[in-house]
Amino acid sequence: MAAPLQLYCWRGDHGLPSVDADCLTVLAYAKFAGAPLKVHKITNPWRSPTGILPALKTREEGSFSQPSKIIIQLRKQKYNADYDLSAKECADTLAFVSLLEEKLLPALIYTHWVDAKNYVDVTRRWYAENIPFPLNFLLPNRIHGRQLERLRLVRGDPTLEPGEQLEKELYHDALECMTLLSQRLGSQKFFFGDSPSSLDAYVFGHLAPLLKIKLPNGKLQQHLNSLDNLRQFCTNILVLYFPSESREAPAKKVSNHADGGDFDNEPHKRRNQILSVLFAVGAMLGYAFLSGIITIKHTPARLEEPHVDEEEEEED
Amino acid sequence: DSLLGEVLVVELNTAEPWPENATLYQPLREDQILLSDCASSLAVQAYLRMCGLPVRVCCRANAEYMSPSGKVPFIHVGNQVVSELGPIVQFTKAKGHSLSDGLDDVQRAEMKAYMELVNNMLLTAELYIQWCDDTTSSEITRPRYSSPYSWPLNHILAYQKQWEVRRKMNAIGWAGKTLEQVYEDVSQCCQALSQRLGTQPYFFNKQPTELDALVFGHLFTILTTRLTSDELSEKIKSYSNLLSFCRRIEQTYFEESIGKLPLGVIV
Repeated sequence: MAAPLQLYCWRGDHGLPSVDADCLTVLAYAKFAGAPLKVHKITNPWRSPTGILPALKTREEGSFSQPSKIIIQLRKQKYNADYDLSAKECADTLAFVSLLEEKLLPALIYTHWVDAKNYVDVTRRWYAENIPFPLNFLLPNRIHGRQLERLRLVRGDPTLEPGEQLEKELYHDALECMTLLSQRLGSQKFFFGDSPSSLDAYVFGHLAPLLKIKLPNGKLQQHLNSLDNLRQFCTNILVLYFPSESREAPAKKVSNHADGGDFDNEPHKRRNQILSVLFAVGAMLGYAFLSGIITIKHTPARLEEPHVDEEEEEED
Repeated sequence: DSLLGEVLVVELNTAEPWPENATLYQPLREDQILLSDCASSLAVQAYLRMCGLPVRVCCRANAEYMSPSGKVPFIHVGNQVVSELGPIVQFTKAKGHSLSDGLDDVQRAEMKAYMELVNNMLLTAELYIQWCDDTTSSEITRPRYSSPYSWPLNHILAYQKQWEVRRKMNAIGWAGKTLEQVYEDVSQCCQALSQRLGTQPYFFNKQPTELDALVFGHLFTILTTRLTSDELSEKIKSYSNLLSFCRRIEQTYFEESIGKLPLGVIV
């Protein structure tokens, strides 16, 4: 019996078990390999054992953070989804994962975190609403800065600015990558036959957020939707391995449509109003006490109850 | 380079044939060029030779700064300047020379994937070993990189480049790796390449493609460059089909200039 493994990952939304690509990759791999994980879905990365998400905590070997390291660790514990792959298929896995990381990932980073409209309307909003106070003021912007920095370093251009030029180049590579993946997948259920492997986990992890999270600037989404076999591939995995999440999604979608573009949520508005009134009253009372408009006299200790005298003085 | 630039290149140059005076620029061969740049340059040279396109190799100390994207090598053809293997392949395709036309869709997908594997693992490992390993960096890389310049510019440029590469390693998650882990990654990459090559003469059928050029460029350079330890070239030598692959391409395409290849760049 393997020691209990705990996985910390970002919470899910929009019908996904998690909103983050790396977390999705690891969750999918764990399901494919049949690893018994205790999954903690959190929204505060500081609570994870390594400080970033996803993180795998094992009893004996400590904690690991990147998807590749987590998958290696799971394999060490005998949970291997690539057991049946031939040597050539293992080589292909390595190659296609590299393709994903070099060609698709930069565009995904751009579309979720750097593109102005997407970032402000969707990504930052989700993270700001879901991360606990006071991190929700710091983290989204910090992640945004880090992702832009990463794009700059990877492209080798320190003066890179988000804009049409960059978007065109990145999306061109990403669209080509998605087409290549679609061609490689063909009409098969998974990339290497009938049972899923780590490559399927990586592809799912990267494509599923694109499929499910609706973005205002959705060029990549449109292309993905036009590739039927990839779309079917992602939906298939969601239905087969994460049935509880895909059932929640329709209910949530209805309420989101009702809100439309409305920025205030009803319950929060009420709570905010009450809180602000209480705060104002408290401030006024405090000022009144401090400046002597209202005083409370306590008579020295007697057996009777002290009575409160209120004196009001007119101020000229 | 930009997609718009590529479109313009296609429109302007489709009709023009390949000129005789095409030139490839790289840093100085004896003293300055680094492992990663040498590999990239050799890959481009191999590709052009495979296409049968003549090119003159020109060594310049400031090649990196002349390049439009900041990366070497770059080629100067007619009035166009194109850098890096990917755009160069596109450029020659626009002129009607292509090595991968005979591939079907699945094969083309695999070819691109394996090229990214080389870029993602081999090239990054080369950069890591050059700049992030303190021994190599101080004994080999920094002195070589700064050799054309005088004090204090040589120190400034070398440290600036080192800092930039280390930040990039940090951003892509390689900063936490030890040298042993990087060697292990190279080994895995070579194993994957060896598996894919099998007993075939080239990666796809009997004709070489840009993947063969890229793999040759990197493996040959690693095999013939001396670093602080031999471990990197030992990893490659353990795969005999990769060794014979390199030898085959060297004999087929570089026969007439074997003496001029950067053989045994002693550092």
